[in-house]
Amino acid sequence: MASILLKNVVKSFGTFVGVQDMNLDVVDEEFLVLLGPSGCGKTTTMRMIAGLEHPTEGEIRIGDALMNDIDARDRDVAMVFQGYALYPNMSIYENIRFPLRMRQVPKAKHDDLIRRAAEMVELGPFLDRKPGALSGGQRQRAALARAIVRQPQVFLMDEPLSNLDAKLRASMRVQIKHMQRELKVTTVYVTHDQIEAMTLADRIVIMNKGVIQQIGTPDDIYSNPANTFVAGFIGSPPMNLIAGTAQSGTFSSAGVRVPCPANLSGNITLGIRPEDCQIGGDNLQGQVYGVEPTGDITYLTVRTANKNIEIKAGREFRAPIDSAISVGFDTSRLYFFGEDGSRVGVN
Amino acid sequence: MAHSTQTLEKGAAKAAPAAAVYSIRRPRSATAKKMFPYLLVGPAVLYLLAITLYPGLFAMYQSLFVVKFVNWSWAGLGNYTRIVQDREFWAALANTAIIGGLSLCLQTIIAMTVAFYCYRDPFVRGWRIVFLMPMLFMPSAVAFIWKLAFNDGRVISDLLMAIGLVSNNVDWLSSVWLARLTLIVADVWQWTPFLFIIFVGALQGQDEEIEEAARLDGASWGDIFWNISLPMMRPIIVVAVTLRGIDITTMFTNVYIMTQGTPGGATETMSYFIYRQGFRMFNFGYASAASVLMLLITIVIAQTIVKRAFKSGKS
Repeated sequence: MASILLKNVVKSFGTFVGVQDMNLDVVDEEFLVLLGPSGCGKTTTMRMIAGLEHPTEGEIRIGDALMNDIDARDRDVAMVFQGYALYPNMSIYENIRFPLRMRQVPKAKHDDLIRRAAEMVELGPFLDRKPGALSGGQRQRAALARAIVRQPQVFLMDEPLSNLDAKLRASMRVQIKHMQRELKVTTVYVTHDQIEAMTLADRIVIMNKGVIQQIGTPDDIYSNPANTFVAGFIGSPPMNLIAGTAQSGTFSSAGVRVPCPANLSGNITLGIRPEDCQIGGDNLQGQVYGVEPTGDITYLTVRTANKNIEIKAGREFRAPIDSAISVGFDTSRLYFFGEDGSRVGVN
Repeated sequence: MAHSTQTLEKGAAKAAPAAAVYSIRRPRSATAKKMFPYLLVGPAVLYLLAITLYPGLFAMYQSLFVVKFVNWSWAGLGNYTRIVQDREFWAALANTAIIGGLSLCLQTIIAMTVAFYCYRDPFVRGWRIVFLMPMLFMPSAVAFIWKLAFNDGRVISDLLMAIGLVSNNVDWLSSVWLARLTLIVADVWQWTPFLFIIFVGALQGQDEEIEEAARLDGASWGDIFWNISLPMMRPIIVVAVTLRGIDITTMFTNVYIMTQGTPGGATETMSYFIYRQGFRMFNFGYASAASVLMLLITIVIAQTIVKRAFKSGKS
């Protein structure tokens, strides 16, 4: 069990900068999720921690030890790959045993450790099968078992659930979280799926274009997004971002009018979450563009002159297309962003 | 309503030209359709039959006769019974096994070792084709080069003397094993690249994520090779080595040019034995019988190896 420290880490590939001046402190036993769109540098960051990539500049420490020049095989980290990366020529038992053999764990202990790891991921009956004879979910559990069997200092997981179907993903999510709590191993988890990030993480690091946008607990990131990128990335559907102007305590845009802090002026972007809007009110006037009932909730899209606004309406809500509608916002949950995209008007 | 009518009209307009296109094609008879594929592969098949099957069958037929040019006299299995009692035949078989076996082992080991050390090298990735160079030489040219280097030109002897390994000129044809060695060296030089290209291709095609997973599991490159790459390459290795092995059993050019079977028949391979029987001593029926036996032996060995390798690979 160990903390991880990244200090001024830069990774460039030729002229392309994959990770820019990154500072990150992962606390011992923490479950940290790196979240961002494709190509944001999250996987590169994880690969640097694993030792599969070498930072161009900066320091990487695991525990207190400087890792920059330590080979991947000597770092005592275990990684779960997106494509499982099981050894196809070995049975699942041999797959799980491989790290024990390579790290010279006494042979007498192997069987016990393997069976315990397999039990943890409920893979007991499949130990003598080859990876090719298992389903995607079973393969992913085998990969997990291989990672946990030798009790490493750090777990790294690179989008481990993205090859699974939605139902399986949900159950594996719970399993991973439970397992991490039980084993108390510092974990770094890479994903582009915000639901995974929100449900699993102790803290989330949101990245874009190689730069950290915000670090915080899931609650924090949801309720206090630092900029329009984070606001537009988190939430399902994500926060509505409406460009407009602020003048003497009022924000206005086509069809939208809300109070704003008096010190704001000029071009401002208003952020309002779909769940903080109610049908009826005087903050937004527009036409119904789409109504999508899903059973427990109805998604309503309202068209204004500039933009479509997403709203979560009650499960019973129905309205004809193109009918006029007015919407009220929960004015205590409004977010304002300046021209550079960063949050403004916060006390 | 107006909307839907429009779509219907559009659909109809689309369907019309499509129908026209179909009607342009002349309907083909069912027999013509069936024959077409055979017509395409026909010439190639005929060509192959003419140069392999016909001579093969002819050799089998001829092996049942004692042939002295135009005089054919029925011998039944006489040629075969004579052959199995012929010491020279068994010697040639042993020579083929020894020279071919050693050469094949060396080629496989060298090709695999080089492939292992360089398969992730960017130069080898981009330019692996240049390693095929020795294979592009005409086999007889290669044989003459090595003949020059070993025997006539004494290049190898001079080099060995220069580095102090030997003090006198080596006569490579004076000893059984030295003569065999020259054949092995020539074959290894020309044909190791063939195995190398296949092995390096297989290693390069290996999933890099698996290598990374093994690295993190604590494996060295050697561990990865022995535990993962090698077992996974098994079918490829078997096929490549079998192909090379079949090729080696017909080794002729080098023997003909470099040693002519000397000293004392120690380098006479099966092909050279058959050639000598057929074209020096004009025992055509006898040579044909030897060819048929050699073919049978090769098929049985190759079939057994491939079958076994793939069976255990599957389970």
